[in-house]
Amino acid sequence: MRKISIYTILLTFISSLTIAAEVNIFNARHYKADAELYSKFTNKTGIKVNLINGKAGALEKRMIKEGADSSADLYITADAGRCGAFKAKGMTQGGLISPAIKAAVPSNFRTNHWTGIAKRARIVYYAPDRVSGAELSGLTYESLADPKWKGRLVIRASGNIYNKSLVASLVKNNGKKATADWAKGVVANMARTPTGNDRAQIMAVAAGEADIAVANTYYLALMLSGNKGAEQQAAAKKVKAFFPNQNDRGTHMNISCAALVKGAPNKANAIKLVEFLLTPESQEHFTNNTFEFPMIDGVSPSPLVVNNIGLDFKQDLKTKVSSYGAKQADALEVMTAAGWK
Amino acid sequence: MKKINIWYLSSFLISFVVLIPIATVSLSFFEETTEYYKILKETFLLEYIYNSAILLFGVLILTFIFGTGTAYLVSFYDFPGSNFFKWTLILSFAVPPYIYAYSIFAFFDNYGTAFTILKNLFGEGEYNKHIPKFSGMFGAILSLSFSLFAYVYILARASFLYQSQNLIDLSKNLGFSKIRTFLQVILPSARPAIVAGLSLVAMETLAEFGAVDFFSINTLTTGIYNSWIAFDDFAFANRLSFFLLLFIFALFVLENLSRKQAKFHSNSSSRFKQREKYKLSGGLSFLAFLFCFIIFFLSFVFPFSQMLYWTIIYSDNLFDLKILSLIYNTMKLAFLSCSALIIFSFISNYGMRVSKSKPLNILNTLSISGYAIPGVILAIAFITFISWFDNSIVKLLGFNSIKTVFFGSILGLVIVYFIRFYSLACNGLKSGYEKINISVDESAYLLGYSKLKTFINVHIPYLRNSVLFVVILISLEIIRELPITLILRPFNFETFATTAFIYASEDLLEAAAAPSLFLILIASIFILSTSKFILRD
Repeated sequence: MRKISIYTILLTFISSLTIAAEVNIFNARHYKADAELYSKFTNKTGIKVNLINGKAGALEKRMIKEGADSSADLYITADAGRCGAFKAKGMTQGGLISPAIKAAVPSNFRTNHWTGIAKRARIVYYAPDRVSGAELSGLTYESLADPKWKGRLVIRASGNIYNKSLVASLVKNNGKKATADWAKGVVANMARTPTGNDRAQIMAVAAGEADIAVANTYYLALMLSGNKGAEQQAAAKKVKAFFPNQNDRGTHMNISCAALVKGAPNKANAIKLVEFLLTPESQEHFTNNTFEFPMIDGVSPSPLVVNNIGLDFKQDLKTKVSSYGAKQADALEVMTAAGWK
Repeated sequence: MKKINIWYLSSFLISFVVLIPIATVSLSFFEETTEYYKILKETFLLEYIYNSAILLFGVLILTFIFGTGTAYLVSFYDFPGSNFFKWTLILSFAVPPYIYAYSIFAFFDNYGTAFTILKNLFGEGEYNKHIPKFSGMFGAILSLSFSLFAYVYILARASFLYQSQNLIDLSKNLGFSKIRTFLQVILPSARPAIVAGLSLVAMETLAEFGAVDFFSINTLTTGIYNSWIAFDDFAFANRLSFFLLLFIFALFVLENLSRKQAKFHSNSSSRFKQREKYKLSGGLSFLAFLFCFIIFFLSFVFPFSQMLYWTIIYSDNLFDLKILSLIYNTMKLAFLSCSALIIFSFISNYGMRVSKSKPLNILNTLSISGYAIPGVILAIAFITFISWFDNSIVKLLGFNSIKTVFFGSILGLVIVYFIRFYSLACNGLKSGYEKINISVDESAYLLGYSKLKTFINVHIPYLRNSVLFVVILISLEIIRELPITLILRPFNFETFATTAFIYASEDLLEAAAAPSLFLILIASIFILSTSKFILRD
C-alpha cells in the first residue's frame, strides 16, 4: 500500500517534469534584463524557462545534494570562478558546445562544460581632485598594497565573489606567498572596514571617504544611467575609471557564465537557450541594460560605458578565467589571514 | 500497556519528526571536518562566538529598555497618545530585522535618503561626511532591537496590567518615589514575564540570518551557513550548530526556570484590585509621549517610510513584481503550514488531556524544541537527513530516490516549517486547553458524549480564539521567514521575503524596497486585525 503511494507520488512528479518542453535554470543572476530575455526565448521557441533564484553558493549546494535527481539543466552565475569550482566538483558535464557557441565565444572564456555569456572588468575608480595622474601612472592590482594608498582605499568584503576571483588571479600570477603579503598591504591601506556593495565603494570615493575604490565596470554606468536616482548619478560624475595593469598582463576580466549541469534532463533545450543568449540581439540587450561588455564581437557596449569608462584598454587574456575557480580557496585563505573582513 | 494508543503513537510521530534535526546535528558533531579548515577554524570559532555574544548582549539591553520602558508608560500612565501607542507599538512586528537593516543602509549611506533630505533643505553640500553610518555590529544591534522589542513589550505589559494596586499602594505608603516603586516593586514582580520576553528575543537574535548577513557580521548562525556554503565544510557547519544548540539550550533552561517562578510571583485573583492609570501632565506627560513616539517612529514609521519612498522613486521595480503570485505563494505556505500545525497540535494536546500519560508529556516537551533552532540549521539538517535516508534505506529497499519529493517541494518546506513552528502552535493551544476545566469533559461524558463528540462540540468552540491567535502568529512568522524558504523552495516560487533578500544580496537594494514594503503591509494588516488578541493578557 505504501509502496503504491510512493510510486504514485513519484510518477505524478516525473510526468509533470517531462511533459512540457522546458529548461530548468538555477539562477544566481537577478537582472531584470535576464528575465526579459528568457521570456523572449519562450516566445520564440515555445520552451518554458523555469527559474530557481538564489545566492550562488546555496544553489550549488542544493544541486550537489540533489545529485543525479536534480532537475537542474543550467547553472547561471556572475562569476567564472564559481563555474570553474562547480566543474571541479564534478557537477557539470561536457557538451555545452556547438558551432554557434564556438564561433561566438573566445576560447579563453569557455570550456565545453560552461561558457561566458557577458563580460566585465574589475577596475579602479578614483577621485580626480585628490589623486594625481602621476600617482596613478602605471597602477597595477599589485601596487594597491603600496603604502602611499594608506587610509585611501575602499574595497568590499573578502566573502564577495568578485574579490575572490580577483585575488585568485593574483595567486595564479604571483603565487600564494606574494599574494598573502599583498593582502596584508591592502588591508593596511583600507580607509574603512569593508562594507556595502560595489556601488557603495564608488560612492565612498565620491563622498570623500576614500580616494580610490575597486569595483566592476558596469556599476559606474548603472549609476550614470540615472536608473539609481539623481544622487547616484551626480556622485558617479565625481569619479573616474582607471584600468590597472596596462603595462603588463592587462586588466582583470570576469564573466557571467552558464554551466551545463550533470544529468541535465533537458540538455538540448539548455544548449538552445545558451545559443540564444549569445545572439547579437540578446547581447545587445545585455549591454544596454546591465552595462556589461558583450561576450561576442560585433556588438558595442552601451554608450555610457564607451564614453565614461572606455574600451581602449588591454584585457588580461593570458590568465585563464578557469583558474579563478582553481585558486578560489587560496584566495579566501590569504584574505582571511590578512584580516580582510 | 494500555497507554500505547493512537494518541501516544501520533505524539511519538510528531516528536520523532521534530527531533530529526537535533539528532542529525548532534551525530554529525563527531564527523571529521576538512583538513584545510582545521588550521583556520579556531580563529573563526572564537570570532563567531564573540560576535554572537556581543550581538546578544546589545540586543537584550536595548530590547529591555525599549520594551519595558514603553510597557511601563502605557500601562501605568495616562498621557496624550497613550492609547494610540498601546497598540501601534506592536506594529514593529511587521518589520523583520533584515528589512530594518536595508532601511538603515538606504537612509544613512553615502548619497542615501539622509543626504537627499539635507540637500533639499540646505542646498548642495558635503553632507556625506557628517551623516553617521550605522553599519556593522551597531547597525545589526539596532535592526534586531527595533524589530524584536515588541516581544518584551507585550509580555511586560500583560504582567504590569495584572499587578495589583495593593502592591503599589503599599510602596506609596512606604514613601517610595515613582522611580523607586518602579525599580523595587513593579519591575521585580514583572521579572518572569520580562525574562520570558527577553528569552524569545535571545532565541530570535541567535537564529537571525538576514540582517547579520547584510552587515557582514560573522555570528554562529551566519558562520554555519558560510562554512557550509563558502568553505564547503558541512561537518564544521554541524559542529557550529551544536555549539549554538548548547547556547540555546542554556537559555531554554533559564527561561523555564523563570517561568516556574512566575507561578510563585503571580498574585491571587481574589484580592485583585483594579488599578487606575495615573494621569501625567506638563513636562512629564510630554516626556512619556516623546519616549513612546520615538520608539514607535524608529521601529515602524522609519523603515516603512524608507521602503515606501524607494518604492515610489524606483517605481519600475514595483511593476516588475508579480504581486498576486507572491501573495498567493505566501498565503499558500501559511495556509498549508497552519493547517498541518493546528491539526497535529490538536491531536497531541487532546491526547495529553485524555491519556494523562507522563511519557507523552515528556515527548511533547521535547517536540517543542524546534523553535529554538535557527531555520538555517533546520534546513541543512533536513537535507542531510533526507540524503542519508535516501542513500541508505530507500536505495537499499530498491525504491526510486525520494529526494525530489522533499527538496524543492512545497511538502519539504511545510515539513521544515512544521518543525520550526510546532512549539508556537502546540503551546498556543495548550494555554487555551488549560482554561477548560477537566470537569467540563467529565460532564460531557456523563451526558453520554463520546470523546470525539466532546472534542467537536465542546473543545473546538472553546478554543476558537486560541486557534485564531496561533494562525496569526504562524502566518506572521511564515510571511517573514527567510532561510528555510530560500534553501528549500521549488522552481519559479518566490515569496516577498525571498524576493527582497535576493535583490538585496545582489547589489539591487533599491529593487528590494517594493517586496519589503508589501511584506510590511501584509504583516501590518494581520497584526492590526488581531491586535485585540495579541494585546489580551
